[in-house]
Amino acid sequence: MSTPTITRPEWSTVIDPVLQKELEQHVLVTSWDKMLGMVDTVYNWGRRSSLWPLGFGLACCAIEMICTASSRFDIARFGAEVFRGSPRQADVMIVSGTVTKTMMPMIARLYDQMPEPKYVMAMGACASGGGPFKEGYNVVSGIDKYLPVDVYIPGCPPTPQALLNGLIMLQRKIDGERFTQAPWYRGDVERDVPIPVLGPDLIDVRLLEVTAEKTAQGLVEAREETLVKPTLIPAPQPEVPEVVEAVSDAPVAPKAPSKLDLLRAQAAGTAAPAAAEGTEPAKPAAKPAGKPAKKVKKAIARPSLVWLGDAGLEELAARINTRFSDGTATIIQAGLLIPSERLVAVCHYLRDDNLIKYDYLASLQSVHFEDCIEVNYHLESTTTPGKLIQLRVRTSEKEGEGEVPSVNAIWRGADFQEREVYDMMGIRFTGHPELKRILMWDGYAYWPLRKDFLEPYYEGPTKVFESRVEDGRHFRSEEFNPYGSNTKIPKDYTGWNTLDSGDDTKGKTLLPTGVEISELGTDQFMVSMGPQHPSTHGVFRMNLRVDGETIVGLKPVMGYMHRNHEKIGERNTFLMNFPFTDRLDYLTSMGNNFGYALAIEQLMGDEAKPPERAEYIRIIMAELTRVASHMWSIGFLLNDLGAFFTPALYAIEERELILDLFEWASGSRMMCNYFRFGGVAFDLPKGWIERCRGLVNNRLDGKIDELDRYLTKNEIVIDRAKGIGVLTAKEAINFSTAGPILRASGVEYDVRRAAPYGIYDRFDFKVVTGKNGDVYDRYLVRLEEMRESVKILKQACRDIPEGPILPGKKSYQIKVPAGEAYSRVENPKGELGYYVYADGSGTAYRYHVRSPSFINLTSLEQMCLGHSIADVVGILGSLDIVLGEVDR
Amino acid sequence: MGYGRGLIVGHWVTLRRFLRTFLVGHGRTMKRRGGGYQPLDFWFGKKVRGDEPTIQQDATTEGLFTVEYPDERLPVYERFRVLPMLVYDDVDGNVRCTSCNICAKVCPPQCIWMTHAQGPDGKPVPLPADFYIDMDVCMNCGLCAEYCPFDAIKMDHNFELSNYERHQTHIFSLQDLLVSSEFYAKTHPDAYDSADEVTERNKVAKKKDQRLQKALGLGAKPASTVRPVAKVAAAPPA
Repeated sequence: MSTPTITRPEWSTVIDPVLQKELEQHVLVTSWDKMLGMVDTVYNWGRRSSLWPLGFGLACCAIEMICTASSRFDIARFGAEVFRGSPRQADVMIVSGTVTKTMMPMIARLYDQMPEPKYVMAMGACASGGGPFKEGYNVVSGIDKYLPVDVYIPGCPPTPQALLNGLIMLQRKIDGERFTQAPWYRGDVERDVPIPVLGPDLIDVRLLEVTAEKTAQGLVEAREETLVKPTLIPAPQPEVPEVVEAVSDAPVAPKAPSKLDLLRAQAAGTAAPAAAEGTEPAKPAAKPAGKPAKKVKKAIARPSLVWLGDAGLEELAARINTRFSDGTATIIQAGLLIPSERLVAVCHYLRDDNLIKYDYLASLQSVHFEDCIEVNYHLESTTTPGKLIQLRVRTSEKEGEGEVPSVNAIWRGADFQEREVYDMMGIRFTGHPELKRILMWDGYAYWPLRKDFLEPYYEGPTKVFESRVEDGRHFRSEEFNPYGSNTKIPKDYTGWNTLDSGDDTKGKTLLPTGVEISELGTDQFMVSMGPQHPSTHGVFRMNLRVDGETIVGLKPVMGYMHRNHEKIGERNTFLMNFPFTDRLDYLTSMGNNFGYALAIEQLMGDEAKPPERAEYIRIIMAELTRVASHMWSIGFLLNDLGAFFTPALYAIEERELILDLFEWASGSRMMCNYFRFGGVAFDLPKGWIERCRGLVNNRLDGKIDELDRYLTKNEIVIDRAKGIGVLTAKEAINFSTAGPILRASGVEYDVRRAAPYGIYDRFDFKVVTGKNGDVYDRYLVRLEEMRESVKILKQACRDIPEGPILPGKKSYQIKVPAGEAYSRVENPKGELGYYVYADGSGTAYRYHVRSPSFINLTSLEQMCLGHSIADVVGILGSLDIVLGEVDR
Repeated sequence: MGYGRGLIVGHWVTLRRFLRTFLVGHGRTMKRRGGGYQPLDFWFGKKVRGDEPTIQQDATTEGLFTVEYPDERLPVYERFRVLPMLVYDDVDGNVRCTSCNICAKVCPPQCIWMTHAQGPDGKPVPLPADFYIDMDVCMNCGLCAEYCPFDAIKMDHNFELSNYERHQTHIFSLQDLLVSSEFYAKTHPDAYDSADEVTERNKVAKKKDQRLQKALGLGAKPASTVRPVAKVAAAPPA
């Protein structure tokens, strides 16, 4: 609709421009256009100054979005502080973080539910175009594939100031709008987006026919024919004596002449040194990517730095063999290989009858080898900690044939971890009560962590991708995929007619069964809470079964932020993986770095021993992280208990100052990427340690006291938190919970003490424990742990020496010997473990993260039964999950 | 009686905090110890863009000052990283990058592409003919800058990059990425003056010049005739 052209003659008379100017200065000259322009101005001013964002956060960027709303940046100055939980009350959707395929239907639905006028801001690289996780199989390459985006905010993550900058850009855009042309007043413009379907992959229904056609042509399969695929390695076998000499690198065998030797010889004018007797020069051999042609250096065989020890393990193996029958336990690479039919019996024995009671299943993961899939278990004892052992069980490698007995009945902490192994590798666990996919959805066509699965954007088995180095033409990954998006569907897929946008493929299979407890005789019903819910700390979802007000069943539904950390980690070189670990638990990136560095340092041995100063810096960073994370957690626990945002604002004040320190030292507030193998990336800048000392000595204690004073004796906190979500010590151990959850139940288990890493053994601090294992005790444990952290910080800031920060010269080429390592650190959320299987090449053959948030959730149902929904929110808050780590 | 006390205490805490905001800090002394504007300056004393005051807060202050972006800013720490940038020497216009590909090799999400420049005789010249960074993939990790042996790629501080469109603008080419060494020296003074970079700079400059002359096949001629060629090959934006 445009204004009609004006034809009245007296209006078209030519006026002298000077006169015209004079006239306009003194007389109000107007026209329809100008009049409407004035209306526009008011109309736009009203809308742009009260943009209500949808309270909806996906990933790391959401944390920065919350910080923008906090007192330091104060988004209220732009009238946009009213974060609404319901899309029906919001007018701007800030897509803050990685958009996964699992989450995409929900986002589309939320967008459709928002009333007009509505705007979309793509915050961060992931939302704009896929970001660093773009190559993952569960990531949508940019929200603009589905929704119309108004403003893109680059950055990873954009700082709060950058978000405000984006908001100002959006306001400018609104300023330029004309309400006569606004699409939402025109009946003929369809603004809703169709909701994509989770079928064999995420399917855009607008492109359904094209997709089906391309699938039938088998274009993806044809493309994969031409690509170099990952090479599989055989599983390690029991050691024959001959291997022993390869373990230590002391006697250096005569090597084939290296290129450097040849060059030197040439320069000296002598003949090239002959190839050492008998050994073929390894160079000309065709080098299949990712597979080392030379004999690889091996790391010392040990499951973790602190473990049972070789002698202890041999003795244990002998004991198991006498107890059961010979051949039950075979030692392979310092782990016990158990035949799968005897696994359950052996596990029972280890838990109940062994001298050291292995009551704690630390981690469970699987490795895909050439000849088998190995499931391995890391067991730890909470009564005599520091005696970690590793069990191995092997099963058929063929797709869909692998089968292993479930240990869920022995350690209930195995529940989700077994489901994850099933989801990722397709191994069935017999005896598991509910073996459903956990991160992907039912109906997804592939087992993504199998080595033979190539993602839609697959380019090569390892980075660096050839095209970057040789060719140099830039491209977006979409260009190579036949579908033009991150999609892959098996050629023989036929169920096109069964796809339905209304289907809840992910949650439908996880409806909890209830027990009748009500005396009122009301019907039980199901409540689906999340994934978009202000109190689920991200995109977490629970299927609740309620009898009246009481919860009788609860099933967590997750994977809405599964961004394929492990698959990408298996392609990254060891160094490249550092920034990815930042994005696991994005509130504690320093701690994540620490754990990962330890895992690789364990393989590298003494070569990567951090110098003294680096050790101190690491401790300072890790403990500052703990304080920041616990502050956040306490603030948001109060949020969940109903005191919306004010306590959170108070609690995250000091966090901002800690982030300032991180930014100063490492360059980024959240994604620090500060640790390196054998040290840290940069030395502390001048003045850093003084300011840190000031903060630690003068400020943090006061803040912790303040929180203590306000909250600990507050009757509302006590009412809402005491006796809620109780987990007994025995249950806490059995559920493999970790960190403050485990300690609040009275178990004195802290990795910093149980299996000291870094230089934690030098500091004086105590392991804080609670008594009752309820929400209140978890809060108290966190509060006291902050005091202990400050204590450590004071000591570390006092004692930090001068000196180098890396053992050698900085290099991007890192040689990691073959072997396997499991490192664990006490992250604020609990025991964070990294399992790395290295084959001697530049990348990890298998890389797995034992995520505390994920495993802590196993106990959620147990804690919530019998409480009301309002309490579930508080209990979840007390677990302090971060979705980046839950779903990885 | 116990009931309701918590509510009152809670409200008192908030009210006290509210009052102290005005009484402690800039209210009492008319000066915010963290820096930044005084209240009246927002109307009368506004600085021009790029010259806004920064708010630097440490343990000596109480509470947390609101940084009134865009009128005020947080201090930019030298190591702060957003997107990478390529440095050219403003003395002779030479791009420091030799297209050695190390940045592309360490880049975790593989968002860097480059092509070697070629001299008039078709031989490769240690300069990038073009250089691309996909900022929708870049994770701002800074590994490229950390491992660049020629101090050519550095992390930019500019975070105000929001825009309305991404398909045409979010792949940065050489022209978008180039900044002068003067600019770099201004944004990263400590790093620029550090002993490491000074020696590296001298060494690299010398070596690059030699190599360039050799590659252009002009080794015999005096250096002055070579320079303009290099300048044309990689003219920085104005």
